[in-house]
Amino acid sequence: MVAEAKLSHTAAMILQAISAGYVYGFSIMEMTGLPSGTVYPAMRRLERDDLIRSQWERQSIADAEQRPPRKYYKITTTGRATLESSRKRYPLLERLIPAEEASSR
Amino acid sequence: MKSPSDVAFSALQQTALHTAALLVPSAERQEWTFEWVSELWHVRRSFARIDETFSLESQGEITRFCLGAFADALCVRHQAVKPTDRHAHMHGSAAQTLLWLSVAFLICLFIASFLPGVEAENEAAQFQISPNALLIAEATDDSANPSISAGLYLDWKSTHQRYFQDLAFYHVTRETAQTGSERISWNVARSSTNLFALLGLPLMHASNDDSGLPSVILSHDAWIRSFAGNPEVPGRILRIGHANVRIAGIAPAGAWRLPGSPDVWLLQPDAQIASDVPARTPGYLFAQLSPRGQDAAQRSGMGISARNLEDLLIDLSGTSLTVPVEGPWNLSAFALFLALLALPAVSSVSLGETHLTPHRASFRETLRRFLFLAAKFGLIAGIALFASYDIAYCRTSSYSGGAECLQLIACFAICLTGFRWTLADQRKRCPVCLRRVTNPASVGLASRTFLGWNGIEMICMGGHTLLHVPAQPTSWFSDQRWLYLDSSWQFLFADTVIY
Repeated sequence: MVAEAKLSHTAAMILQAISAGYVYGFSIMEMTGLPSGTVYPAMRRLERDDLIRSQWERQSIADAEQRPPRKYYKITTTGRATLESSRKRYPLLERLIPAEEASSR
Repeated sequence: MKSPSDVAFSALQQTALHTAALLVPSAERQEWTFEWVSELWHVRRSFARIDETFSLESQGEITRFCLGAFADALCVRHQAVKPTDRHAHMHGSAAQTLLWLSVAFLICLFIASFLPGVEAENEAAQFQISPNALLIAEATDDSANPSISAGLYLDWKSTHQRYFQDLAFYHVTRETAQTGSERISWNVARSSTNLFALLGLPLMHASNDDSGLPSVILSHDAWIRSFAGNPEVPGRILRIGHANVRIAGIAPAGAWRLPGSPDVWLLQPDAQIASDVPARTPGYLFAQLSPRGQDAAQRSGMGISARNLEDLLIDLSGTSLTVPVEGPWNLSAFALFLALLALPAVSSVSLGETHLTPHRASFRETLRRFLFLAAKFGLIAGIALFASYDIAYCRTSSYSGGAECLQLIACFAICLTGFRWTLADQRKRCPVCLRRVTNPASVGLASRTFLGWNGIEMICMGGHTLLHVPAQPTSWFSDQRWLYLDSSWQFLFADTVIY
């Protein structure tokens, strides 16, 4: 029996949001309606368990748009597999955050 | 132009972020702060699009966003202190058990390495008094009492001996010794120079003499007691009585059998013994058997008749000083053997394997299980060896038969108790993951044994097995049984972290 990471509904929602293209903290907050005190710690734990990966935006892009650079999050292969099992566990997940609603950066 | 309330809220939000940043470990603080400040900028811009003047409600939302930074900072801090929740995974695991046993083993080993008595036992086993060396005493006396006079020794030494190759002598007196500023009362043995050569005991840390001062040999016990086992001691000058002497070496722990409990042997030539020790002063005489003497001893024992200084015939006895010292390894091996023999009497040696289940463990699982069992046995044996040293020599710095006996008993007791625990622990380990089964639940009623079983049911937190232990063994349920859980049980187990 292979043990697989089990996510709470909240963590699964955040992972689903990242998978759907909401790639920074505030956009996930807006999509899920969760407060910052929930979203950011959950993303830290997901990153710790290699379910998501973070990357800083290049400074030149931020400078061109006259704003500070952002930290973007991306789902990993392990995260994708975990999300797949979470979707079976929480069948409404995809309906709550469908991929096509994802906004572009 | 920003309104005063906007400036005040902005300052409040920045303060909240920078205060929360103090909770983040310093190594990650800069990046963490940078991310939150950046996010705050985007949040503010997002609200500015909707509400250009930043209403109180918008400012409240933005401030709430900033307060969330405290939860995030605590999370980052928690992760830095405990990168992964290893403790939960380790709890009751095979690795945790081996870790604790290894720690106990290392502690016992560490303590034993500082006990001088342990080294003394090794030496006592390594350097033993020659089997051809005899202690000669009057047959009527206890050989522990000095019975041969110095005059008789000098007389015999000057005449040809049929059965003895060489003779050595010492006489013990209580004298005051001065080591630096300290004055100590010692048992000083005025001894012939050939004593240690005759006994076949090599000196430790021997130092060559070119000072012309008389040489003394410290007993192992006195070396530890008065000089804390300092190997630099040989070569130092001491004052014994009214004379300066030089420490020429340390007697090995094998000399513990020599009678009179000397703390120091003052080596003197026979001529000086003749002048310093009155002829009738009794002392201890040692003889080395010649080949003819060995034959005679084998034929007719160690009884000897000789004439004393008054030309009267006296009966003497020769006592061998060689006592078999087993040494730590032999002793522990014997204790281990005894414990293994006694184990079936105090515990069931069954490992709780069952053949009633259709599940067959893979070769890898079986090998892992037996390697774990062997590792536990090995560590328990190691702990028993060094803990028995610690117990036997915690209060004594020199080798003795009593300490050896205590070591044997302690080693046996620890081995037996430890092996019993090892088997009991193994029976409660999940055969798949080697974790201890937990959450005991009482099942059934004792009054209904005829209709169903009653006992304790325990579960593997990895979700692999259930263990049924009957409260009362019956003909149809005498031993514990493992039930292997299939994947339909998986949803019950949170083996990995849920958050």
